[in-house]
Amino acid sequence: MSTTVVGQTGSALAAAGREIRAGWTLRTTLAMLAIAAALIAPGVLPLSGRMPDLAAFVYLAVAAVGLAYAVGLAGIPSLGQGVFLGVGAFTEAIARAKGGWPLVPSLLLAVVAAAAAGGLTGLATGRLRGAFVAASTWILSWIVVLTLTSFPGLSGGAQGLVLPEATVFGRTLTPTAHYELGIVLLALAIVAFAVIARRAPGLALAAAREQPNPALGLGVPVARLRLGAFAASAAIAGLAGALGVELAQVADPSGYGPVLSFKLFVAVIVGGARMPLGPVAGLLVISVFSHAAEQIGGLRGLPPGRLEEMLTGYGLLLVLGLGGIGLLPAARGWWDTRRGSSPDAAPPTHVEPLASVEGARPLAARGLSKRFESLVALDELDLDLTPGTVHALVGPNGSGKTTALRALSGEQRPDSGSIVLGDDPLGPATQRARARRGVVGTQQTTAIFPDLTVLEHALVGAGLRRRRSGPFRTLFRTPQARAEEANAERRALGALELVGLLEDRGRPANELSAHRQRLLMLASALATQPRVLLLDEPAAGASSTELDRLVSLLQALRGKGLALLLIEHNLRFVRRVADQVTVLEAGRRIASGTLDEVAADENVRAAYLGRRSF
Amino acid sequence: MSLVVQVIVTGLAAGGVYGLVAVGHSLIYRLTGIVYFAFGDLVAFAVFVTLLVAAGTAPVSQTSLAPGRFLLALFVALAACIGLGAATYVLFIEPYLLRGSTLGWVAATLAIAFALRGMIGATFTRPAYVFPDPIPFDRIGHGGLVTIAGASVQVRSFFVIALAAALAALAAWALERTRYGRALQAIASDVEGARFVGLPVEGLVALTFGVVGGLAALAAVAAAPTAPFSVDTGTLLGLKGLVAALIVRFGSPWAAFCAGLGVGLAEAAIDNLRIGDFGLGPQYGEVLPLAFALGLIAYRSLRSDAAFGRA
Repeated sequence: MSTTVVGQTGSALAAAGREIRAGWTLRTTLAMLAIAAALIAPGVLPLSGRMPDLAAFVYLAVAAVGLAYAVGLAGIPSLGQGVFLGVGAFTEAIARAKGGWPLVPSLLLAVVAAAAAGGLTGLATGRLRGAFVAASTWILSWIVVLTLTSFPGLSGGAQGLVLPEATVFGRTLTPTAHYELGIVLLALAIVAFAVIARRAPGLALAAAREQPNPALGLGVPVARLRLGAFAASAAIAGLAGALGVELAQVADPSGYGPVLSFKLFVAVIVGGARMPLGPVAGLLVISVFSHAAEQIGGLRGLPPGRLEEMLTGYGLLLVLGLGGIGLLPAARGWWDTRRGSSPDAAPPTHVEPLASVEGARPLAARGLSKRFESLVALDELDLDLTPGTVHALVGPNGSGKTTALRALSGEQRPDSGSIVLGDDPLGPATQRARARRGVVGTQQTTAIFPDLTVLEHALVGAGLRRRRSGPFRTLFRTPQARAEEANAERRALGALELVGLLEDRGRPANELSAHRQRLLMLASALATQPRVLLLDEPAAGASSTELDRLVSLLQALRGKGLALLLIEHNLRFVRRVADQVTVLEAGRRIASGTLDEVAADENVRAAYLGRRSF
Repeated sequence: MSLVVQVIVTGLAAGGVYGLVAVGHSLIYRLTGIVYFAFGDLVAFAVFVTLLVAAGTAPVSQTSLAPGRFLLALFVALAACIGLGAATYVLFIEPYLLRGSTLGWVAATLAIAFALRGMIGATFTRPAYVFPDPIPFDRIGHGGLVTIAGASVQVRSFFVIALAAALAALAAWALERTRYGRALQAIASDVEGARFVGLPVEGLVALTFGVVGGLAALAAVAAAPTAPFSVDTGTLLGLKGLVAALIVRFGSPWAAFCAGLGVGLAEAAIDNLRIGDFGLGPQYGEVLPLAFALGLIAYRSLRSDAAFGRA
């Protein structure tokens, strides 16, 4: 028994070792060397006098990397990182100085307090557009600094709060120990960022950052992910703030105001918000400016700090004016063009062809109505989608086709009516809940995520079926998370193969032609493993060969047991693929049946076909 | 009663300046969709240029000023403010707007704010400056104070209120009645359409960045002698104007102006009024309006049924 366990453990370790060797690149070696060099630097270089400053800088860098979780991953323009540093710092200071708590519990408390503050802020601003998020977090920064200056009692008066000496296992934490701890935390924060950014949670965040509505359509829990990114960003700041206050041994409220938030934000932007090392690079640039300012100011006999704001501002304007948001991405782009990078062209080994639908169910809509003020968009519409059939919804412009699709996909709630999948009423279910039950729609306009590659795009769809690879499991690379990732990739590749985009999988999605972008949206929807697929004008902009391919694609999907709804203007195309046709006029169904039955209908002839011929 | 009168007069005088800043924030938001975080600092820049030209960087007494030189100073300051506002837009903001980069313009407007703060701070090195008063209000009443319903209020306050209201009216009128104003409305409602009919959109928007700064700066200069003026005064002006503009969701000039008056009144009332034994006192005056605005934004965000991208 025990030998089996040992054997299993041994083989698992061997497998892990193989995986690490397979994933080991030049970059990994460089990163390891950099961390090692940073760790042994205090022992080798004559830095002892600078240790407190260096440690403080490293903690600030940790907070900057934390901010990149909100700014870079989620695209939230947060100007409140200084606040969360301050929350961490003052929780720590109060717990230690007034509560007499030991070091570790108070650190935990500080992280929890900062995460809660970040979560609340994220909740309050979660649905606002960028300009309003920036304004609200900026106002929050000012509220904190104004409160602390108006009520000095809150922060220990003019002296601030003085902390007792921090000890771990009876030994004092020296500035050098703080520095080493900071380097380790910084490395962890950077690695975690890199791990998350390229995997399912990061890809879903990237999709939501670019185009929230199509991301919602693929079942991405946009609000929850953003909230999580914001809270994580605040938690990291809280830890950095708490440790920073242990280092300084006094909590000074003046340090956590808008200036700090501004510095951290600009550091992240200037360095490159989406690169793991960007914030550190940006912070280094800012430090160069402030040191230069100190030197120049000292020569001119000005009080310290007088020139700092000015030179920092000028320097940043110079960088920003040169168009340099993201020094690291720019450097990388330069490097890639010099080296002539090639997207990976090796044929993928694991492609899982799209499976037939399991547990196929019909979708029945009854009495759907929707008004936009005085306009009746849908009027008591009944619609039946049967597994293994293609149902086309046709009608003149403005007849309510897209409104019907949106009501089915959950993007827009109808005023009345019921939608039932099998015997499961969908009622008020969200887009995500519907997508998980297998009802997925694509958008009428091409809405791709420009920052993602073709494969990553499909992975966003495949991510809907994640169960055991949330952010934490992804971060710790649990076996289940890795298995699910491999599985999702196989399915994503299968969906791409089906629509004919497998060869393009390494290309940025925005390089594709308009029609292929539509196919990519379709592939992402297929990667969610839908039962019912709602397509809004998939044939728009297709050439005749592309149309032929689309016909066989839709027939293949029908063969796999999907129930398909198709909104289409091109009646030749409808004739080739549709089993059932419903004609809408002014939100009402005026005819339903096969295309020939519908074409013979008096109402349809009167309303619609008088102007066209089949 | 006397306290109420005093609160109303000082509140409206402060609020008039906030209101003009709010008008500027609203106009800029409606034209470009951005929040101009450097607005208050641009206003402070104009105020300090006025001071520089009128009296230099040395300490000044409130009355040692020739009206002619002051008018020259005001003219130079307005020209500099308009030029700088337009230049910052063209150089640092528009490139990011064209790329659709929210993060870019937020960083750029903040960097402008801090560059301006630093520039002023490096020239005017003392913490705060007493501003010269070009109009001899001290000859009216008792050294510039008059007594109304038992309250003694500064005569200048009435001048500031009247000037601010006149400037707001001017802005509202210009927006409705002049070619420039109608062009701005066209841009606000449909940029592509405005471009299509041949409006010089970039130039008009750039000019507006300066003009709204100048408008607010006029009121700020008029109010400046009331209390010592510092770099932070300017930044806070920008912040409070932004709060007022947010309360009315970047609405029409009149809505924004009235919201500014409201913020000013609320501040003065919180600072001074007592109901029985209960009074909040000056330490709450700045914080509470900001907190109220933040709460309002959060409430609207949570209540809105739109999924994303609503105010």
